[in-house]
Amino acid sequence: MSSIRRSTGFTLLVAAAITLSACGNNAAGNGNTATASGSPSQGNAPAQTAAATEKPAKQTLRILSGVAGGKTPEENEQFEQEIERLTGIEIEIEKPAADYSKKLMAALAGGEKYDLVYMGKTEMDQLVDQGVLTRLNDLIEASPVLSDPAVIEPGEWEQVKYGDGDIYSIFNKKEGGTLPIVRQDWMDKLELDQPTTLDEFYTVLKAFKEQDPDGNGQADTYGLSTSGLYDIQGFMSAAGVKYRYVIDSEGKRSIPYATEAAVPVYEWFAKLYKEGILDPNFATNDTAKMRELFLSDRVGMVTYWDAWVGLFNNMRQTEDPDTAFVAKGITGAAAPDGSYMLRRGDPSVWGIPVNAEHPDAAIAFMEFWHSEPGNILSTLGIEGVDWTKGSDGSYALTETGGEHGMDHGAPFPSNTKFVNPIGTLPGAMEAREMIFSNNSAVELSTADWPNAEKIVQSYAFKAMMGELPAAEAVKSMNAELKSAGLID
Amino acid sequence: MPRFRQHTGLYLMFIPVIVYFLIFLYFPLLRAFTISLQEFRMIGDRPFVGLDQYKAVLADPFFWQALKNTLMIGAGQLAFGFVASLLAALSLGEVLNPLFRKINQMILYLPHLFSWVIVGGIWIVLLSPDGGMINELLKLAGLGQPVHFLAEERYARWIMIGTSVWKEMGYTCIIYLAAMTLINPSLYEAARIDGAGRLKQLLYVTLPQLVPTMKTVFVLQLLGVLRMFDQLVVMRNPAIYREVDVLMTYVYENGIQQFQMDLASAASFLIIAATLLLTFIFSRVSKYDLS
Repeated sequence: MSSIRRSTGFTLLVAAAITLSACGNNAAGNGNTATASGSPSQGNAPAQTAAATEKPAKQTLRILSGVAGGKTPEENEQFEQEIERLTGIEIEIEKPAADYSKKLMAALAGGEKYDLVYMGKTEMDQLVDQGVLTRLNDLIEASPVLSDPAVIEPGEWEQVKYGDGDIYSIFNKKEGGTLPIVRQDWMDKLELDQPTTLDEFYTVLKAFKEQDPDGNGQADTYGLSTSGLYDIQGFMSAAGVKYRYVIDSEGKRSIPYATEAAVPVYEWFAKLYKEGILDPNFATNDTAKMRELFLSDRVGMVTYWDAWVGLFNNMRQTEDPDTAFVAKGITGAAAPDGSYMLRRGDPSVWGIPVNAEHPDAAIAFMEFWHSEPGNILSTLGIEGVDWTKGSDGSYALTETGGEHGMDHGAPFPSNTKFVNPIGTLPGAMEAREMIFSNNSAVELSTADWPNAEKIVQSYAFKAMMGELPAAEAVKSMNAELKSAGLID
Repeated sequence: MPRFRQHTGLYLMFIPVIVYFLIFLYFPLLRAFTISLQEFRMIGDRPFVGLDQYKAVLADPFFWQALKNTLMIGAGQLAFGFVASLLAALSLGEVLNPLFRKINQMILYLPHLFSWVIVGGIWIVLLSPDGGMINELLKLAGLGQPVHFLAEERYARWIMIGTSVWKEMGYTCIIYLAAMTLINPSLYEAARIDGAGRLKQLLYVTLPQLVPTMKTVFVLQLLGVLRMFDQLVVMRNPAIYREVDVLMTYVYENGIQQFQMDLASAASFLIIAATLLLTFIFSRVSKYDLS
């Protein structure tokens, strides 16, 4: 026992000695600093010296980003340096590799302070509801860039308004939409015309399944693949029904996919499934699996984002410059009156949390992001890394820039004055035009949607896989949604 | 007190463990309980709402559906897992060749070592309608249309039960085998003298001697029933959500995906209460001493 006491006493003595010597060093250090600066060590001289040499505290803008930034941690650092070079704002971008939404919520709930956070519509709804985001109406109105209708079109703001017109976020880019994407080279090879009705789509997809479009002599292709119900809107367009909620002027909620109008489309899918034209894994595919099937010549048509038309073409051409692969967006199936109803993507936005330390710098960054240099950065990437500028002022992508597909957070900026100096990836702009000229609208979801979606998906899959007659599936879907209080 | 003084050093060694549990278990538990009584907001005030969140959970039909799924899948896993591992242990106990026995033990035990991400991925590929081994075998057997096992609700729960039993039976089997080695050989000798054959020795010596182990195994598995999560997250998909959504996925979706931490915390405490209740009932029924 006495030995323990002795050793404890010794430990305390050593600790005290270290502490005292540290204090001594500190004092000595201070003294040395004063002497080195040439100030006499008397009176208030040290304070005066500090004031004279002190620079204004440098502000570091902390951003939590899901898409903007480098593709790798190394490029992300270069991205930060490029922003600092272009704006003078010191910046720190945290870009999680995966599960962005969860990390955003966990970070904010944990008290992390960011000046700017990127988010989708769902997260924005949740954060606005919880009072996490700063109201930005005044800041936007005061900004000559952000209030410029040529930079962000006035109609776009309607997508992010709450209550009496309160705005809590600023757009990251101009969202496109989803549409059927077809292997145009297969269409040409099999001499097929572009389909516009469900029957014509059936003919094309059947040919993809049965006529060996990839020419490998094996029956190993499917006509169509999707990733669950994501996104069959291009075919539901034939029935004129839209995914998620529709709320009428009296506030009554309905889900058009759960109405009789959708029955013929479910029946059409059931026919595709039964005949092996539809990828049998469609119900369990994730989007990566669906893309892989399309890129590996296993399927002739997928439904996906307009920008991916260009990315698909770019990927295959980068892999093999002589490839015959041509992806092309098509408008989907027309309703009997000849109209289309495609899906426009939810807005992706930036918000300033109420605990942000530098909201003004955040607005300055947003102004940069929507200016031409910002547009160049968000599309082409970093000068000298992703692209170079010739003596004649022309832009050229480097090998790295080519691999990055002209996407560094906003491949299609909101700024209507911006023209990509390189041009867009093959097929992307045509697909985008189809979205904006064919009645594409954002889908409406509410806090109840995740629960409603489970019921919709369950019966829709049963109908599409032929487990239940489509009419019966829709009837049950509707009844269950009503009994759960999810539609009125 | 004198005994405490005598072992002061040992008691001091407990301190890090106690601190660890206080910080990483009991403090978060207390915080979660507090949140379950509030209207959760990430920033700003969190008004006290009493038991409103608990009432909201109990009024939610998706909670009851999740509870139903949990109990059905859990009961299947308990029953089939119990029988399968016991049968495997008894069968291996009859194997005399030690090498053959060890190889079989290893094969049975191996799936337990892999995470559900691996095991779930393997089964998703095996059950795929596009080139999956099961469907290829069915095709060889003359079945025309491939079956999308993982997208049809009628198979969903059975697949979750079957794959779980497949993965975990080896582990439980090892516990039974270990218990079997502790059975006093003189009991078998006495049984043989009394004219008992292999079957009667099994029924009247081995099984009764394994009852305490069975109780332990059962209570351990029972404690895990309401907490099943990894397997379901890996193997479920939108086509079968409604058949395989369990209590922990309900908490995960509400808490992590929709960030309704108040509702999710309330649901978590209901699960803890239900687990305690189940364990209490089992201990009463089986006269198993939990201490």
